[in-house]
Amino acid sequence: MKMLRLLRRQRALLNCAPISHDRLADSSMRAAVARADDSDEFRNQQNFDRAVAELVHLIPIPPETAEWFSEKDLAVGSKWTWRKMARNPAVLAISIAVVVIAGVSVFQVLSGLNEFPGSATARKLLTVAASTRPVMLDPVSTEAETLSDLFFMKHGLEHYDVPAEFADFRTIGCRVFEDEESRRIAQIWLAEKRMQLFLFPAERNPKTGAVLRFPGWRYVHQEGWAGAVTERNGVCFMAALRGNEKDLASYISKTTAQ
Amino acid sequence: MLGDSSKAQEVFHTTLREAALRAAQGELPREPFWLFRDARWRCLDATKTDLQPESLDLDEHDLAAHVASQIEELEPTQLAVWISGAPDPQRTALALFYLDEFDYQEILDLGELKLNELSRLLAQGRRQLQAWLDAKRPQQGTV
Repeated sequence: MKMLRLLRRQRALLNCAPISHDRLADSSMRAAVARADDSDEFRNQQNFDRAVAELVHLIPIPPETAEWFSEKDLAVGSKWTWRKMARNPAVLAISIAVVVIAGVSVFQVLSGLNEFPGSATARKLLTVAASTRPVMLDPVSTEAETLSDLFFMKHGLEHYDVPAEFADFRTIGCRVFEDEESRRIAQIWLAEKRMQLFLFPAERNPKTGAVLRFPGWRYVHQEGWAGAVTERNGVCFMAALRGNEKDLASYISKTTAQ
Repeated sequence: MLGDSSKAQEVFHTTLREAALRAAQGELPREPFWLFRDARWRCLDATKTDLQPESLDLDEHDLAAHVASQIEELEPTQLAVWISGAPDPQRTALALFYLDEFDYQEILDLGELKLNELSRLLAQGRRQLQAWLDAKRPQQGTV
């Protein structure tokens, strides 16, 4: 198609047609070039433009100016270092957040390891132990294991048995009381290191009613008190004293301790 | 744009220095090509006090098929002087177009031109350069 027959705009576009085809900026330019590609006039123009552009690139540039366009880096960036990266506020903030999240996760995992069915009740009873005074209990001087019969006969509490590890210790007093959830708790005060023993119903599955059992002895801590808890026949037993786990561990036979 | 390497260097360094100062003050324009636009105005300003070429109606010839060989015989500096001798805005149009770094829309933006103007300036420039080439060395076989 001859140039003269092209629309005025297309002719204007052709006069501005890029020297390199990769600079065909828009569709109207591409269309104009595509239509004129076969014309001698346009081919001459393109040859002319290419030759001039090649010569333009040979125009010498002053050396002082050419230096600015050298391929070397004008400013060498400072080297990347771990220390520099660690000081980056974003990296610092992310690191702190990760450490906090990791800490909370570890704490929850460790807390989970110490949890067992009845651990919450056991901790509450440690608080009770700390606030109990001897006058609050009925004075009873006997061996701890004999109180099982008392609890059964007087209070109808079945399987409220003191384990063999604490059966032979002399008692000072005992009582039976209800906690805020109306569970009946048996409390025994021993002469041995002013230790207190608690017997309370084991936790049950709320749907099935089945006792949530756990094997061996578990330890709980609350306000300077330590408790060693075990479960037998649907009743939890806890030996509590002011001190730490080591003070209790000596009472628990190695065969049953975890 | 200037046809004089010392002037070009001076404009180049002034443009960069001003750009660095503006960058330091956080005043760099957001528009694209502002640096080129700035450099162009400095070039025009630098030649304002120079002797201006007489306004002549230059000859114009149709582009010849053998024009590439004619151009090859030119010295690059001759072409530079020829382009820098053109009146603005033709000088801007030719300089930006033959740098082959911008598309036509960018040249319109940089040179503050309209499409028809750019088209006319380029077409006229080609025909005038062809006439100048023909005058320098008439091609064999040209009638």
